[in-house]
Amino acid sequence: MTATTTLSVNGQAVSASVEPRTHLADFLRESLNLTATHIGCEHGVCGACTLFVEGRPVRSCLTFAVSCGGADVRTIEGLQDDPVMARLRAAFTAHHALQCGYCTPGMLATAYDIVTRLPGADEARIREELAGNLCRCTGYAGIVEAIRDVLAQGPHAHEFAQLARTAPSGAKAPALAAVAAPESSLPQQSASADEEIVGGVTLSRSVTVQASQERLWSIISDPMTVAKCFPGAKVDSVSPEGLVAGSFTVTIGAVSARFAGRGKVAFDGVAKSGMVSGMGDDGASRSRAQGKVAFSTAAEGADASLLVVDITYKIIGPLAQFARARLIAEIVDRLLKLFANNVQLLAEGKDVSIETGGFGLSMLLGAMVAALRRALFRE
Amino acid sequence: MKPAPFAYHIASTADAAAAALARAEGRAKPMAGGQSLGPMLNLRLARPELLVDLSNTPDLQGAQVEDDAIVYGACVTHAQIEDCVVPDPTPGWLSAAARHIAYRAVRNRGTIGGSLAHADPAADWVNIMMALGSSVLVAGPGGARAIAASQFMTGSYTTALAPDEIIAGLRILRRTPDARWGYWKFCRKAGDFAQASASVLVDAQRGDICILIGAIETTPAFLSDPEEILAGRRSIRDAVAQALPGRGDEGLGLHVAAVTRALAIARGERD
Amino acid sequence: MSIVKTAQGVGASLPRLEDDRLLRGRGRFIADIKLPGMLDVAFVRSPVAHARVRSVAKPGQMAGSVFVSADLVGVSGIRADSGLPGFKSSVEPILAWDKVRFVGEPLAACVAGSRAEAEDIADLVMLELDELPAISEMTRACDADAPLVHEGWSENVFLETFVETNFAVAEKADLKVSRVLRTARQHMAPMEGRGVVAYWDAHVEQLVVYSSTQMPHIVRNGLAECLGCPQGMIRVVAPDVGGGFGYKGILLREEVCLAYLAMHLKRPMRWIEDRREQLTGNANCREHHYEITGYANRDGTLVAVDCEAIVDSGAYSLYPFSACLEAAQIASILPGPYSFAGYRCHTRSIASNKPPILPYRGVARTGVCFAMEVLMDLLAREIGMDPVAFRMKNLAQPEEMPFTNITNKFFDSGDYPESLRRCVAAIDLEGVRARQLAGEPDGRRIGVGFSVYCEQGAHGTSVYSGWGIPMVPGFEQANARLTPDGGLELRVGVQSHGQSLETTLAQVACEVLGIDPHKVKVVHGDTAITPYSTGTWGSRCMVMAGGAVAAACDVLAERVRAIAAHLLQADPADIVLGDGKATCGAGEISFQDVAKVWYRRPQDLPAHVDPAGLEVTQGYKPLRDSGTFSYASHAAVVAVDPATGGIEILDYAIVEDGGVLVNPMVVDGQIYGGAAQGIGTALYEEMLYNKEGQPLAATLADYHLPGAVEMPNIKLEHMETPSPLSRFGQKGLGEGGAIGPPAAIANAINDALASFGIEMLELPITPARVRASLANVKAQA
Repeated sequence: MTATTTLSVNGQAVSASVEPRTHLADFLRESLNLTATHIGCEHGVCGACTLFVEGRPVRSCLTFAVSCGGADVRTIEGLQDDPVMARLRAAFTAHHALQCGYCTPGMLATAYDIVTRLPGADEARIREELAGNLCRCTGYAGIVEAIRDVLAQGPHAHEFAQLARTAPSGAKAPALAAVAAPESSLPQQSASADEEIVGGVTLSRSVTVQASQERLWSIISDPMTVAKCFPGAKVDSVSPEGLVAGSFTVTIGAVSARFAGRGKVAFDGVAKSGMVSGMGDDGASRSRAQGKVAFSTAAEGADASLLVVDITYKIIGPLAQFARARLIAEIVDRLLKLFANNVQLLAEGKDVSIETGGFGLSMLLGAMVAALRRALFRE
Repeated sequence: MKPAPFAYHIASTADAAAAALARAEGRAKPMAGGQSLGPMLNLRLARPELLVDLSNTPDLQGAQVEDDAIVYGACVTHAQIEDCVVPDPTPGWLSAAARHIAYRAVRNRGTIGGSLAHADPAADWVNIMMALGSSVLVAGPGGARAIAASQFMTGSYTTALAPDEIIAGLRILRRTPDARWGYWKFCRKAGDFAQASASVLVDAQRGDICILIGAIETTPAFLSDPEEILAGRRSIRDAVAQALPGRGDEGLGLHVAAVTRALAIARGERD
Repeated sequence: MSIVKTAQGVGASLPRLEDDRLLRGRGRFIADIKLPGMLDVAFVRSPVAHARVRSVAKPGQMAGSVFVSADLVGVSGIRADSGLPGFKSSVEPILAWDKVRFVGEPLAACVAGSRAEAEDIADLVMLELDELPAISEMTRACDADAPLVHEGWSENVFLETFVETNFAVAEKADLKVSRVLRTARQHMAPMEGRGVVAYWDAHVEQLVVYSSTQMPHIVRNGLAECLGCPQGMIRVVAPDVGGGFGYKGILLREEVCLAYLAMHLKRPMRWIEDRREQLTGNANCREHHYEITGYANRDGTLVAVDCEAIVDSGAYSLYPFSACLEAAQIASILPGPYSFAGYRCHTRSIASNKPPILPYRGVARTGVCFAMEVLMDLLAREIGMDPVAFRMKNLAQPEEMPFTNITNKFFDSGDYPESLRRCVAAIDLEGVRARQLAGEPDGRRIGVGFSVYCEQGAHGTSVYSGWGIPMVPGFEQANARLTPDGGLELRVGVQSHGQSLETTLAQVACEVLGIDPHKVKVVHGDTAITPYSTGTWGSRCMVMAGGAVAAACDVLAERVRAIAAHLLQADPADIVLGDGKATCGAGEISFQDVAKVWYRRPQDLPAHVDPAGLEVTQGYKPLRDSGTFSYASHAAVVAVDPATGGIEILDYAIVEDGGVLVNPMVVDGQIYGGAAQGIGTALYEEMLYNKEGQPLAATLADYHLPGAVEMPNIKLEHMETPSPLSRFGQKGLGEGGAIGPPAAIANAINDALASFGIEMLELPITPARVRASLANVKAQA
């Protein structure tokens, strides 16, 4: 799956066949051997890969080569003879603005932008503009001084093209019909349903449902019905012993995970309480989720009852490697509102609305995904 | 840390983009500047089969001037707003806010439409567009529609967009210099996401008064009775507590500080 | 000495010789190396912190591209034991096979034509892992029900140490202060990650391993041990290395794995660590927990210190520093530059289900300085004495130098009270106090804090032999060769990755030989062409490699003199070297001409010339190898916003004594850069783990490194007390900048918040922690 892209790199026309997934930094480094552009984080925070597209500094790790059709790309290699860059190089040496040199190309790109775009920048502004370029060696002292020095020699004209984007010419849009779908790689392994959740986080919520306790119990004591109230959950089968096979799917924006596995339901008709537990793996992200929902009911007069739900969940793997406790609490609240809403609808004899599709128990996991996106998304 | 493979489609028009998304039946993602989706792709947390690139779509670029508003194309970048390359419907408020979104290199590609579609509860535009009463213009197979910014974001990372719809633009009402505005956010470090933010708008001419708190891990919330707060008759803490039920004193403090400071900026008492 | 001082030798702020290639993007870092037929490797890593491995299943169609532990036939795991009594041994498997012990531990290597394709294959590898309860909190690691990281161990402790000296005096002290302090687990986060490129050079029948490492010779030792092959069959090359800070002072499993694959598949192999691998699987330093008590008298005498310290050493003992260095070092360095009578310290190196630890810039000193200096402030407050005066009274005094402290550390030289006095002046303590009294119009609280520390650098055999770890530094060697055109090549076994050794070692040669540093080529980082060295760590290069270069140049100078004397018909004793030539009265001959005679016109040599010629390898060790002691006082002024918990550093001063400065500009750079890392430790950097041992900051959006905005403009002053131990009086100082900030900043914050009755005792001091403390105090009120 490749596309052809045509662009200008350091003033030379380049036409290359490239995978759409190849970002500009990799394209320059691996295909064109232009290794001055360094890769530091590949998520847009460190700034090591900063270079110029249409004369403006951008993150080459967050720019796909195929989307640069017709663009003018400049790297440090292409600015050897640029007079502004020459002044910056001299100042960087004079002020000891580099040690290991790894952040330096990206730092120079940003410095170039500062001295040409902001001729009046003071120290505070220089520091602000440098916020997106991390250096672990210098403490920034020499970098700030070097940029001040070059600013004092200014004003400096931006010496190469700063163009408006032209319409892409090279990249050809593949027809959707021709899209080769990546093979899905769901694990064959099924998780055991009985396992206790070791560790995990428990959140408790209670909601009042406008139905008698009997009515409420009749709704939520049916596993298929309970599953229906947790949109995103899909039940394939329920054994007489209460073993459930199924999956739940998380889709929030760009991120989708399908946790397939087994679960178990248990009801206590006397206490009018119950428990649903399950565990599933998302093969693609190598993440595993375990969850347990314990619920109990209590009468609140003749026509209302209290539904108390304790949710315990645990996620391991990449989808867990972000911490946003409050975000999850918000999601749980939304989940419970929907759950209660659905139970209420059923109590009123209506069917569960399809509007809640894609939003359910899986939102617990979605919360983790969302936390990650929150950490990263800057669009 | 390289993306899983995907196919790629450059949309020539907004409608073509929506059509491509519709054909993919949920397996495609639109991408404008890619400053948010890019990391997710690189981390393989997002695995669309098809990427629909909106960044070169001509009808999503630039600004249209209307009598009462300015319409930004969805792919207007933060840097274009910062640099006033597109007209600012406000007396410089948008430009000032744009300057503090992430980093310049990110602002050069990141777009206002992408930011809203992403619906990060801590993002600047989500908060500001709600406070300014903007509307989100949407294109899709069902035709174009407009959604009030306050109705657009339905929760963290969740919007009113259908899977085959895209944001075409933002209609932002004009504000005169008589109107007062304050926006303040608290970040761990420069360029980082806000941990609390607040917008204050007092536009007597239009009769718009609002105080909005953001970075609350869900859709930004309007404080009730903003007139009373502005007049000093209603405590900010009470109003914030009402908007954020169930959060302890510790959880409220930062948001109270944000509102206090946004108010002070609106009153011209601080920068 | 018949040496002419030049403006480019020791003491000159010579612009760096390595800058140009780096500024033009012509550096060659590990990921820049491209070899014909090279394959990329992606590792399948454990998603869980602790599990029994049931299976690692290769995908059917791609099985040939996936390698698991069983495929690495004849390869041994990595063992790094300490000889200290009671040390429990662990072995890192190259690829995990029976158990995984932390998130990120490698289980399989996937090989393809590009990294993206290798990751595609990695996605298809199925893991069956039976998860086990994990140790993610070191203070719970010894609970009765704690799971064992290593079966067969009695408890999750690599090593315990006890030190006690005259502690009975504590009983007689007037007062005591006890606190629990904590530092976060951090990641060193060099801008370039680790990486390995390995290939089999059939022509010389040698495995060539390029690695982004601080210690190529040590890596060769380890590779030979793990692969079971002779050292001559292995060449390790460190190319340009994008920062280390300790992160690259290690033998990597990935190095062993890539080496094996390259040898057996006969294809070049490349693995480039990405930031997620780095953050999730390798956040590996500085997690300390202290229960510390200080005893003092009302007259301001520090009487005794008692400390219970634990360090979360992670899952394995790493090669070559071992799992015990950090915690055991705490016991020996906690007293620092203070003079007091009684001491007791108990340390434990805890095994947990987290990445194993490595010594980060300053090693245990940053944590120790934080614990000790915060304690000093609190003791001063308890006594009712100014914290500066309390320190002055208890610091080792200049007339006591050389000073041996209570743990027998030998302080070679210096005037510690003077550095503090100058630091007080630099920060304008009086002015800050006045401002504090006046109050801030914006409601923020101002505070000022100090810290004093010492940095033992270039400590050698006598110190390291005691640890009994796989690496003990001995004599450092340098090779100096006058080239046929009169230039100089220096070959050193240390590695320069930001330390500026290509410049500073040339300055040393200039100092000794009188040669223009621009004619000096420093060759480093290649086992094939440099003398053996333990590498770059422990602030040792300028003392050790600098000393070795000087020693080699001394000998070379004599040989140049002998030839020049013959050519000038003079007495060698009358020859003066300088400015690139040998001079005797009116006669002179350039080094180029001397070299020309040796290499090209040997017929003109004197009859009894030294046959070793113009190439010298010479070894060096200071007469006493207990280390040079550089030191500094740091001062911070902060403003804390009680409404947000926000902390701004308003002013920062450092008065440092690094002995004789070989290149003051480079020294400043080391101190600024170190201070930035110290500020990160103080205010920003933290890798949290949840109960299951999942790391919670997989990206730099969550793991906050300080940027330019977060860095204050630092006032930096130098004292230059020469070390009596080193060649030029220079002292190792590469780590010091990172040691002082957490303590000074914590003291400043605690000063600012004193009126609220708040003490911040856990690093990093984040706005959220400040807000929580304020809310807590409010709730109690």
